[in-house]
Amino acid sequence: MAMLLAKKNLRALLRGAMDRKYRVVGPVREHGIVLFAEMSDPGALCLDELNTQNSIKEFFFPKTEKLFTYSLGKNDAAVADDFAPPRTVLIGGRACDARSLVALDRLFGWDYKDKFYFARREATCVITLACDRFDEACFCTSLGFGPRAAEGSDILLVPVEGDEYAVEAVTDKGRALIAEVKDVFTEGTPGAEKVAYPEKKFDLAAVKPWLERNFEHPIWKEEFLSCLGCGTCTYQCPMCHCFDIVDEGDIHGGARCKNWDSCQFALFTLHTSGHNPRPAQAARWRQRLRHKFVYYADKFGTEACVGCGRCIRNCPVCLSILDKLVLIGREAAAAPAQPAGAQP
Amino acid sequence: MIEQLRQRARELLGEGTVALVIGYGRGNSPQATFPVFIKKADEVDRLVFNPFCRNNLAVYLTRKDIMPKGAVGLVARPEEVRSVAVLVQEQQFDPDKVVLIGVACAEPGKEGAACEMLKGRTLKELEAEVAERLKGRDPAQEVAAKVQELEAMTPEQRLAFWEKEFSRCIRCYACRQACPMCYCERCIVEKNQPQWIPSSPRPLGNYFWNVIRAFHLAGRCIGCGACARACPMGIPLDLLNAKVAREVKESFAYEAGFDHEVPPPMASFRTDDEQEFIK
Repeated sequence: MAMLLAKKNLRALLRGAMDRKYRVVGPVREHGIVLFAEMSDPGALCLDELNTQNSIKEFFFPKTEKLFTYSLGKNDAAVADDFAPPRTVLIGGRACDARSLVALDRLFGWDYKDKFYFARREATCVITLACDRFDEACFCTSLGFGPRAAEGSDILLVPVEGDEYAVEAVTDKGRALIAEVKDVFTEGTPGAEKVAYPEKKFDLAAVKPWLERNFEHPIWKEEFLSCLGCGTCTYQCPMCHCFDIVDEGDIHGGARCKNWDSCQFALFTLHTSGHNPRPAQAARWRQRLRHKFVYYADKFGTEACVGCGRCIRNCPVCLSILDKLVLIGREAAAAPAQPAGAQP
Repeated sequence: MIEQLRQRARELLGEGTVALVIGYGRGNSPQATFPVFIKKADEVDRLVFNPFCRNNLAVYLTRKDIMPKGAVGLVARPEEVRSVAVLVQEQQFDPDKVVLIGVACAEPGKEGAACEMLKGRTLKELEAEVAERLKGRDPAQEVAAKVQELEAMTPEQRLAFWEKEFSRCIRCYACRQACPMCYCERCIVEKNQPQWIPSSPRPLGNYFWNVIRAFHLAGRCIGCGACARACPMGIPLDLLNAKVAREVKESFAYEAGFDHEVPPPMASFRTDDEQEFIK
C-alpha cells in the first residue's frame, strides 16, 4: 500500500494548508506568463506550463532583501533586523528546482550561515511535481539526475496512471504537513509511473576537464557574439546567487538591501580605476560556464546548473547553454586530454 | 528570396566591401531564429529570413567588442532601417561603414507570411521605401488599442496598472540591452554618485527606471517592440513607448527613423522658438 493523491485533490491540499495558516506559493498565470507567486485562492494554481518563468530561488533568496533598517532621531538612532519568514508551502516546482536548493544550501551555509536563507528553508515545505513531459530546453538527465529525483523536496508527487500522484514523503517536514492535511490523501496501489525522461545530450564528465584546459579557445570569441549582456539568464536561473549590497535611504532612515546581481553585466567587474578584467561579453559567458561547471564543482562538489532550461527559453537572442555544452562535449571528444605524463 | 539575400551577402564579403555580415540564423526550430555573424563568403548559407526574425539587429552596431575595423553588412528589416536612421542622426557611427541589405516581411510573426528583398541600397532610398510601406500606419498601430484603453483610465487606475506591471520587474535590463537606442556606455541606472535611481527591484526604483527609460526614448523609439519581447517578466513596455511616440508625433509632427537628415526634435532648438513652455 502506498499513499496517493488524486489530481483533483491537489487544490484541496492547498486549501488545507491555507486553513492551517500556511502561506502557499505556486505557479499562477499573470498577464500571459506563468510564475511562482503567493496564492490567495487554490483555484489559481496553474500547471499548464512545464516550467515557470521565475525560479523558486526567489522564495529563499529574494530579488531584494532588507538586511536591516535604520532610523535616526534627533538624539538617537535605532537599528531593526527582526526577521521571521512565514510558514510556507511551496508547490509546483520540479525536480530541477528542488535540486537547486540542495546545491544552494552548500553555498549559503559554507563559511557563514546565511540566516535569511536558512530561516526560509526551515519555514518552507517544498512539494515537487515529477515531470510527465519535457521540452527541448530540458537537460536534467545530462546532469546525472532526473525528473523524479526526490533530493531537495519535502514531498514528491509522482504522476501515475489513473489521474493520481504517488506521494513520497521525503523529509520529516513533509511527513508533518501530510499529517496535518491527511484527509486529502488515500491509500492504495499506485498505477504505472507517467514520468518523461529527456534524452541525455552531452557527457558531463568531459565538460569540466575541457573548460579547465581551454581558458583560451576560439569558441569563446565565436560562439557568444550575439549575447546582449542582460541579466535574464542569471536572474531566471535557480542556481545563480550573486548579489550586491546597497544602502538606500536618507538622513531620517533607510535600509541596507541585498539585491540580485549578474556576472553578465559589464558593471559587475568594472574596477574603480576604469579597468575591466572581463571587458567583453565573451569573457562574461566564459565566466558563467566556468563558475557553473568548474569553480562551483570544485568547491561544493556539484554543478551550479540543474538543467531546468529557463535561461534558454528566456534568452532574447536564443543563446542556449545546452547547445554550448553539447558543443564542448563534441570538442572534448575530438581532442581528448593527454594522459598524465604524456609528451605534448 | 533567401538566395538573393545570401547572394548579396556573398558579394559583399567576397569583394571585401564588408568584413562582417550580421543577419538571422536558424535556431532549434523554424520559429526560433537568432542573430548570426558571418565573416566568410562561404558561410552565407547560414543566413535565413522568415516571419519569425524579430530581433532588432541594429543593436549590435554600437557594440565595440564585436564591430570589425572595416565595414559591416546588416540584414535590415524596416525596423533596422529606421533604427540605423536614428543612430546616424545621433552620429553613433560612420554611415559609410554600414551597408544595409534591405528585407521585409508582409506580416511579421505570422507563419508563412511573404518575405521579400527591399529595392533600396542607400539609407536614403531605404528610408523612403520603408516610409512608403508603412504609409498611413500609426507607428504604434499594433499596440494602439491597448494605449487607448490606458488613456481611458483615470490616473489612479493607470497608476495601479503600472504599479502591478512594474512589481514584476527584476531589473535584468533585458529591455535596455535589446534596444538599439540604449547605447550609453554608462546608463543612468548604473550611476551611483549620486544614485539617481534606486537599484533595488522595489516599486519606487522600478517605477523610476522604466519611466525614465521611456522618457529617454522620446522621439527616438521606432516601435520595434524588442524591449517588450525581451522582457522575461512579460511587462508591456511597448505601451509606454508607443504612448510617448504618439505625444511626440502630436507635438512635433515627427516620427523617428524616416529621415536621418532632419534634426531630431529632442536634440535641436530654434532661436525663434517662443519658449512659452518654460515658465
